[in-house]
Amino acid sequence: MEMGQRLLRNFKVHWQRLLFLEACLYALACACFTYLLFNNLVLALLLFLISFFVLVAIIQPWRISLRQTSNYIDAHIHHVSFSSGLLLEPEDNLSDLSKLQRYRVSKTLEKGLKSLNPPHHLKRAVGVFLGMLLIGVVLNQLDFLEKVGLNSTIDGTPKEINFAATDTLSKKAAIPKLISQKITITYPSYTRMVKTVTTEPNIKAIVNSSIQWQLQFDAQVSEVSLAFMGSTIPLQKNGEGYSIELPLEASGFYSFSFGTAEGAEFTSDLYSLEAVSDTPPEIEIIGLPQYTYFDFSDPKRLELKSSITDDYGIAEAHIIATVSKGTGESVKFREEQLGFRELIPRGIQQINVSKLLDLNALKMEVGDELYFYVEAFDEKEPKPNVTRSETYFAVIKDTVTDQFAVEGTLGVDQMPDYFRSQRQLIIDTEKLIKDKPSISSKEFKSRSNELGFDQKALRLKYGQFMGDESEMGIGPSKASEQLSIEESNKKADGDEEDLLKDYSHDHDADNEHNLVAVEKSEKENDPLHDYLHNHDDPEESTLFEESLKTKLRKALTIMWDAELHLRLYEPEKSLPFQYDALKLIQEIKNSARIYVHRIGFDPPPIKEEKRLTGSIKEVDNFQKQETIQVDKPYDAIKSAVERLERFIQGKEAFKAEDTSLFTEAGTEMAKLAIENPSKYLGVLQGLKGIQDNTRRTIENYKLVQRGLLSALPRTEQVPGIKAQTSDEINSLFLKNLDTYD
Amino acid sequence: MIDGVSLTNQDLGIPVLIATLLLFVGFVCKEWLERHRGKFILNTSIAFFSLIALALIVLEPTRQTEITDRQAILRTQGFAARTQDSLLDAHKGIRVLDYDPSKAIGTELDSLTGLFIIGNGVEPFNFWQFEELPTFYIPNPAPIGLQEINYEKRIDLGSTLRIKGTFNTPEKNTYLVLQDPSGNGLDSVQLSTGKAEAFSLETIPKVTGTFVYQLTEKDSSGVLLKSEPLPVNITGKKIFEVLILNDFPTFETKYLKNFLADQGHKVVVKSQLTRGRYKFEYFNTEKVPVYEITDKVLDEFDLIIADADTYFSLAKSVKNRIDKQLRENGLGLFLQPTSPLFNVGQRASYFTFQRDYEQEIQLPSSSTTLEKYPYSIITNLRVAPISLNKGKPAAVYKQVGLGRVSTMTVQNSYQLLLEGEEAIYGKFWTALLDETIKKEETKIDWEAQTEMPRKDQPFNFNLRTNQDSFQVMDLDSNLVALLQHPLIPSLFSGTVYPKQTGWNQFWVPSDSVSKFPFFVLDSTSWKSVSIFKKIEANREQFRNESQKNRTVLIDRPISLFIFYLIFLLGMGWLWLAPKLFGD
Repeated sequence: MEMGQRLLRNFKVHWQRLLFLEACLYALACACFTYLLFNNLVLALLLFLISFFVLVAIIQPWRISLRQTSNYIDAHIHHVSFSSGLLLEPEDNLSDLSKLQRYRVSKTLEKGLKSLNPPHHLKRAVGVFLGMLLIGVVLNQLDFLEKVGLNSTIDGTPKEINFAATDTLSKKAAIPKLISQKITITYPSYTRMVKTVTTEPNIKAIVNSSIQWQLQFDAQVSEVSLAFMGSTIPLQKNGEGYSIELPLEASGFYSFSFGTAEGAEFTSDLYSLEAVSDTPPEIEIIGLPQYTYFDFSDPKRLELKSSITDDYGIAEAHIIATVSKGTGESVKFREEQLGFRELIPRGIQQINVSKLLDLNALKMEVGDELYFYVEAFDEKEPKPNVTRSETYFAVIKDTVTDQFAVEGTLGVDQMPDYFRSQRQLIIDTEKLIKDKPSISSKEFKSRSNELGFDQKALRLKYGQFMGDESEMGIGPSKASEQLSIEESNKKADGDEEDLLKDYSHDHDADNEHNLVAVEKSEKENDPLHDYLHNHDDPEESTLFEESLKTKLRKALTIMWDAELHLRLYEPEKSLPFQYDALKLIQEIKNSARIYVHRIGFDPPPIKEEKRLTGSIKEVDNFQKQETIQVDKPYDAIKSAVERLERFIQGKEAFKAEDTSLFTEAGTEMAKLAIENPSKYLGVLQGLKGIQDNTRRTIENYKLVQRGLLSALPRTEQVPGIKAQTSDEINSLFLKNLDTYD
Repeated sequence: MIDGVSLTNQDLGIPVLIATLLLFVGFVCKEWLERHRGKFILNTSIAFFSLIALALIVLEPTRQTEITDRQAILRTQGFAARTQDSLLDAHKGIRVLDYDPSKAIGTELDSLTGLFIIGNGVEPFNFWQFEELPTFYIPNPAPIGLQEINYEKRIDLGSTLRIKGTFNTPEKNTYLVLQDPSGNGLDSVQLSTGKAEAFSLETIPKVTGTFVYQLTEKDSSGVLLKSEPLPVNITGKKIFEVLILNDFPTFETKYLKNFLADQGHKVVVKSQLTRGRYKFEYFNTEKVPVYEITDKVLDEFDLIIADADTYFSLAKSVKNRIDKQLRENGLGLFLQPTSPLFNVGQRASYFTFQRDYEQEIQLPSSSTTLEKYPYSIITNLRVAPISLNKGKPAAVYKQVGLGRVSTMTVQNSYQLLLEGEEAIYGKFWTALLDETIKKEETKIDWEAQTEMPRKDQPFNFNLRTNQDSFQVMDLDSNLVALLQHPLIPSLFSGTVYPKQTGWNQFWVPSDSVSKFPFFVLDSTSWKSVSIFKKIEANREQFRNESQKNRTVLIDRPISLFIFYLIFLLGMGWLWLAPKLFGD
């Protein structure tokens, strides 16, 4: 490239660079200012990029062409004689004279361009940049001073506490100004939160935090006090200012008031004090079914995994395990507190813990049940929050307690003495097998047959629950035995009866307290119905829920097989069936169990000598006197509404004795406002304005009355005495009304 | 004087007569001096008639004549010019009068034979002036806005404030909103027809005192068009003393006594535990056991609640004592129903029952069904239903002398409480007991007679009292004059002209309780109601029956021309004659 043309190009690039630099400076000014103002780097960067691109789009440095450059040079360097354009022309097209001029120009440019700068506003840009930087720094410093020592800001921009005079006279006097307001919130130590210092008078903090207000005035003031929900607490003077420290116990509203040496009184607006309660810990038990069943042969171990969280820190967590032993009246409970495998560090906010519950280690035996739940405490003081998880169950299945216990107080004991349980049968059968080599064949057969009979008796007994009919007394009559078996064979599947009632007083029976839904049969109008067992009607049979019935039916079928083999003198073959039957029966019993917390009632002993004597000698008149404090939570509000109506009508003016009424109404209103601050805060402030004579205007009266009326609940309907005129003529009429009736 | 002729300037009669006589004497003397010329008699006579004519010119004689065609238009407030023009067209020469209630119009009316009233009509208190005159009223169209309004201006706290009326609006889909004194909306109704429409609004006031509720008209976009004041005086109910007698403690009584005691009422419960042994409970009252029901005991209570078993087992003398207290002192007795109540007959239980086999009852706005005895109570003149339910009354009261006995067929009303319907339980017992409790007798009872009191217009009121000497003062402590009724000594009436709008009040210095607040409307409030009422009253008063113009006698002046002529000729003769017939 030719030298002149290169010079031109260089100049153009230089020009473009300067323009870019200018845009960059402006953008930087914006960004720096933003950063200093908001302390937000991301925002500043974003603003820088946006403003840079916008400025570049406005300035458009890329549109500077070589032609523009040459025009500029022509205009500013005289020696070029408006010929720099020649440098842009291809050399071949030029005449000799032009070529000469062109050469001359390029020579001139070489020197001239060194002193020529492209047009730019860099100085202005730098000025703007520095100016913005300065303003930003100043604002930042001011901001910084205001926020000194402030670690966390409470939502919203801080407000200054405003004071207003409570009577019109002192409005003329200068209001002592609040120089500084400093509110220090000290959170309870267990929250591990740092002390917060703020100027925002609307405070939101955790319950039991301690809040300290420090106020400093520019003039001499006296009797500075804080009014909180109806009570007034004076502030202590310390040094230049006044301070007060209060524990935060409940939400409410507060205001400050002070007097001056001239006797004027000033009061502030109402500010809210919100007590946030500490939430109790949350417990989650992971992957454990509510009920777990173990067979005796199982390992009987239970892996409990739990996740515990709390907002400020967990203090302690453990498992409460209750083992119940025995059944019925002999049930015994044993409670144990178990720790987790992991150590729970105090104050941790979230932890996953686990525990392997070994039922053997808890000395649990067959039939015992374990109820357990996780309990967690947080560090709240003075009383920690406690959470309990749901109760989980672990049961070791019992296959042994398969027997009928008969209620001793029944008038007629219908259970035969020789009635044997399935477990007994198994033991006897096993004994028979063991004895087989040592006893005679006849005896073996006889005993096997007897066991078969016992098995039958048991089957029939269970059959009654199914509504099966047995026409045979379970007596040892050999003669009728065969027949009865045949009979029961026939009847077993078809006929059903309701014999359950007879036996259901049995406390170990399956459905003693109607724990399982039992369908009730329709009662007929037969007066004898209640005293009879009408076995003819299949509808009368007591019905278990479907699965139970199926299981019982299955058990009965298995018992048949067990009996068959016993009758065939094959106890060995019968034994597996007996075991199966035992297992099924046990399952049926266990399925009807539920866990109920134990409650106890010990009736006082009856004095037998006084029973049924009819003596009321010791019965005396009973007198009871009670004065019930009528609960009228909105009495003051109601009176205030009426009073305000009088003010609004202009009939009466505010009197000194009204202050107490409006104070009380304010207290009542504050209770409502705590629940719904946004709705009633304005009313509350208006009420306060009336109370302390800062806003005793008709507009404010109307505003407050409106708010009070809308806050009042619906009027309750209460009876009471109404006024009535006693008109002689009316009375005469009423008195004579029934003369001719 | 000749019939039908009279003199306009009758009061000048005597001076004119004297003057005429003097003149006549003068003439006679002059003629006497010239009697030698003869014609003394002639000239004296001519002088006499001339002077008579002169005197009549001064006195202006009139003569009565009958006319039948002298009509007028009376323009009252808000008349339409078109109506006037039509009338002027139809009746040539008709006169136009303007109506001003503060000015007398009688004399103008007397000479008229017929009258057309146009506009909103004349004030009802002026009607008497039009009684003799055949009057036709051409009414204006019904005014826009509130036409009629009806509500209780004094209610008890807890009662419903019901506002019924008619509103006339040409705009469709406007809303009428009932607002409380501070402007909170309470109830609203949409007027959709664009014509006069009846409406009903209601609310239960929350606070006692004198308040001005507002009835506002808003268009469909919620812009306030018009607002009318609804002054209401809300008074509270007082607590009462109740004695509950029970044969044995019941849940019904347990909940009822708690309900009453919670309101601060003085409750004494006596329930039998066993023979001769009682359980006494005292709520908010002194501990004074009630063993015997004496007159002194009964005097202390406003209400006795007794279950039927207890009531029937009382000695006859005790029952008579209660009955006497009912009749003489207005005691209230509520019989809690038990089955004997329905079988003993009217003589013993005050009521007659009829088996209706219905075992259940549902109260309005309640989801709970209550048990009831399978009977209904027969109502008649003295046995009035208590409005608890629709259909056959579940509860009634009977007026017995000044007092009332009430009962019901509902059992176990506490089921409402158990179902959580406390408000309905409260409403139920409030309705029942309010009808039964002894009423408090007010010493002075006030009653406004003027429906819409306005500033500087008469406000009439009645007052009933048995007091002998008392005074009534207004707000500015001016004495209000009262007029005692000649036949009913306890009835007084009075009229005042309120000086200020808003709440006014009468009070009695000797009785600080007796106060009578009344609200004086300003001129713009309820204007359409006044106009509507006036138009209706005028329409009723001047109902267009076939009225003929009346005949009116008027004194028409006799033309003075003849008297001037007689006087001129007479004087001319007396002047000319000596010249013609000179010596």
